[in-house]
Amino acid sequence: MISRRTLLRGAGIGALVVAVPVPALAAGGLVPNVFVRLDDSGRITATVPRPDTGQGVRTVVALMVAEELAVEAGDVRLEQAHGDTARFGSQGVANSTSVRQLSTPIRTAAATARCLLVTAAAQRWGVPVAECTARDGFVCHPRRGRLPYRAVVRGAAALDPATVPVELTPPEKWRLLGKTRGGRVDARDVVTGRTRYGIDSRPPGGLVAVVARPPWIGAVPDTIDDAAARALPGVVDVLTLTAPAEGQGGVAVIGRSTHQALRGRDALRITWRGGTPTADSRAWLADLRASLPAQSPIDGVQQVYSMPLLAHAPMEPMNATADVRPDGVTIWAPTQDPGSLRTQLARQLGVPAASVRVEATASGGAFGRRIEPDPVLEAVACSQRAGAPVQVLWTRADDMRHDSYRPMSVHRLSAEIGPDGLPIRRAHEVATWGLTVLPIFSNPALVKASGDHFPYTVPGEVSVVVRPAPLRTGFWRSVYAGQFVYAEENFLSEIGKRSGLDQVALRRKLLPAGSRLHKVLDTVADRARWTSPPARGTARGVACLEEYGSAIAVIAVAEPESRRVLRVHAAVDVGVALHPSGVRAQVEGCVIDALSTVLGAQITVREGHVAESSFGDYRWARIGQTPEIDVTIVQSDSPLGGLGELAYPPAAAAIAAAMAGDTPVTSMPFGTDVG
Amino acid sequence: MARYSLRVNGERREVDVEGDTPLLWVLRDELGLTGVKYGCGVGLCGACTSHVDGEAARPCVRTAADSVKTRITTIEGLSRDGDHPVQRAWRELDVAQCGYCQPGQVMAAAALLARDPDPDDAAIEEALRDNVCRCGSYPRIRAAVRRASRIMREER
Repeated sequence: MISRRTLLRGAGIGALVVAVPVPALAAGGLVPNVFVRLDDSGRITATVPRPDTGQGVRTVVALMVAEELAVEAGDVRLEQAHGDTARFGSQGVANSTSVRQLSTPIRTAAATARCLLVTAAAQRWGVPVAECTARDGFVCHPRRGRLPYRAVVRGAAALDPATVPVELTPPEKWRLLGKTRGGRVDARDVVTGRTRYGIDSRPPGGLVAVVARPPWIGAVPDTIDDAAARALPGVVDVLTLTAPAEGQGGVAVIGRSTHQALRGRDALRITWRGGTPTADSRAWLADLRASLPAQSPIDGVQQVYSMPLLAHAPMEPMNATADVRPDGVTIWAPTQDPGSLRTQLARQLGVPAASVRVEATASGGAFGRRIEPDPVLEAVACSQRAGAPVQVLWTRADDMRHDSYRPMSVHRLSAEIGPDGLPIRRAHEVATWGLTVLPIFSNPALVKASGDHFPYTVPGEVSVVVRPAPLRTGFWRSVYAGQFVYAEENFLSEIGKRSGLDQVALRRKLLPAGSRLHKVLDTVADRARWTSPPARGTARGVACLEEYGSAIAVIAVAEPESRRVLRVHAAVDVGVALHPSGVRAQVEGCVIDALSTVLGAQITVREGHVAESSFGDYRWARIGQTPEIDVTIVQSDSPLGGLGELAYPPAAAAIAAAMAGDTPVTSMPFGTDVG
Repeated sequence: MARYSLRVNGERREVDVEGDTPLLWVLRDELGLTGVKYGCGVGLCGACTSHVDGEAARPCVRTAADSVKTRITTIEGLSRDGDHPVQRAWRELDVAQCGYCQPGQVMAAAALLARDPDPDDAAIEEALRDNVCRCGSYPRIRAAVRRASRIMREER
């Protein structure tokens, strides 16, 4: 079962085992808790309980541990948790929670180790603990000199952690956290090609499977002639996969090499039945439009916005490797949630969870797609059949045509305008689909809660109609906020244009006193020199979002005539930015997603299947379209906020508003037919 | 199946594959050079970008048979210790997010700088036009190519 906590905000979510004392091991070393340990040589190892999908969680964990243990980030060896939620807590990368949920437990874990080492050294020297400090891997005392950690590991391990008070390093003493120096801990491996992603994790002797997938939505194999495929060199076996127990269904060809498996798949002769061979996304959009209530509750300014299907299209296509043996199961997969995966596999295979090991490899992007287990289920079925480790590899076309798409939606926004030109009452009516990968997301209240973050003081109502999804839908970065905020902010911009109001001033006026958005909006307006008129031929757009415990304001500057976005300014408040370069990277990434989806990337369905198959027709932005991106970090006293998804919705809205100039925005992508 | 002798990262390597096997799968499956990334298989995304006879090329759209008389350099062979100016610039500017496209980006940038040591933004954007980054590291890639160019100039 996939877990998703979108609506379970607040205390106690994904609660982690904080600094649980583990008895010192006879084998030596200091193991004060499950997250951090020092061996007898003083080497520090930390366990990262969330997969790194590019959001940089490994780097932040290394920085937190290094900060508290007074070493450099490079001194911390990192291991990934293997799905063991009883020990390490939730391992799901979802809802921009990794740093928010890990900060306290990981820092406490490392600080506990430091306090134990310092206490052991103080006892050895016979001096008060308060006179000792940890620095550069040593415990130091003004008169006694210094002891390397390795010299006090044993002494520290003999202490009862419960008796040693633990203090976190206060932010004003941070050397690493919050500083601009230092990049990704895995950067050298990345630029030398050594990072092992899921696709690189096939063990020696492992086989490769590729799957012939339904040529139209919902089709299942009727007749299968695999004689030609089986006759090819290197083809080991062919098996039929049944959805959903074995993924999405299809016919798998298992080969000795990738090329041989691919050739085998080409040689299959399959007829298909069932499904919806005439499905068309234009008709789906029309159905959503027709699903809106006949009459809007407000008779005033009105605009309708249409949103397309979007694919995740991570650079590393879906893949997973499974080795199913009588005595245990090992999975190598780029997954966003090894914990849920392990639980699900144990239940499905009827084996104890302890016999399932999920190696969460590096992941070549995820964007919400890798919460789902389907490639792993395929690999498990293939490995069971072959009696060997099998890697299931999706081609790019498989990945793009059999995704769990961001749902289409239609939004009708209406407002009653007051004498000063500002909205005084609003209505936002939405027709969309639920998320088939997590059926509770067909509940309109959940869809609304995920999408609706209107921060302005305009009373009104948001109503959601959820229609049955005609194809697989899932979590896509920012989930429904991507569609809702795009519509709401563009509608507010439209009202501003019609009333001749300044877009920043009107938002300032409509934000409630005390909102965190005031500061980021003022900051971004300064950065963008808002009070100076835009250069000739350029136009600007503004949007805000407070969500995931963070706040952001974005101003985009575009040249509508050439369809170029020139600059995007963002000011972001995540409380305290633990890794500023990583914070900027997440905002930059969201801006490129926004640029891509506003300027033309969309998924369409014709004759029952997804028309797009690769980066030639799913028009993701390229380097030449990239605007200058200026990110300002606004520090605040707010608790740590999340960031992975925050910037996408307002960046998309601001870019579209800038591209539109004086014309109204009515769709995403901007100025293109949807569907 | 036939035997092909390839020159990869300065070494002779023998492989037994079908002649139509894409060079990408030869490098990855037969030679274990997994830094060469599969992204699309049809020459559209640039994730597998490597050097063939010193030029940026796409191993996914070449075959083993085509490759016998060429010199192939993959990300693993770009530098001995990972300290090619492009690799250093990439680290300095903290370019990577997920990192999956970056071996291809690095190889495309290194090939560009080998023929044009001081490219302007237009030249950078042209050379890297078909190297897709889904994380959106483009602003840093652009800056890192300029930085690598400066490193190369300073050390000449």
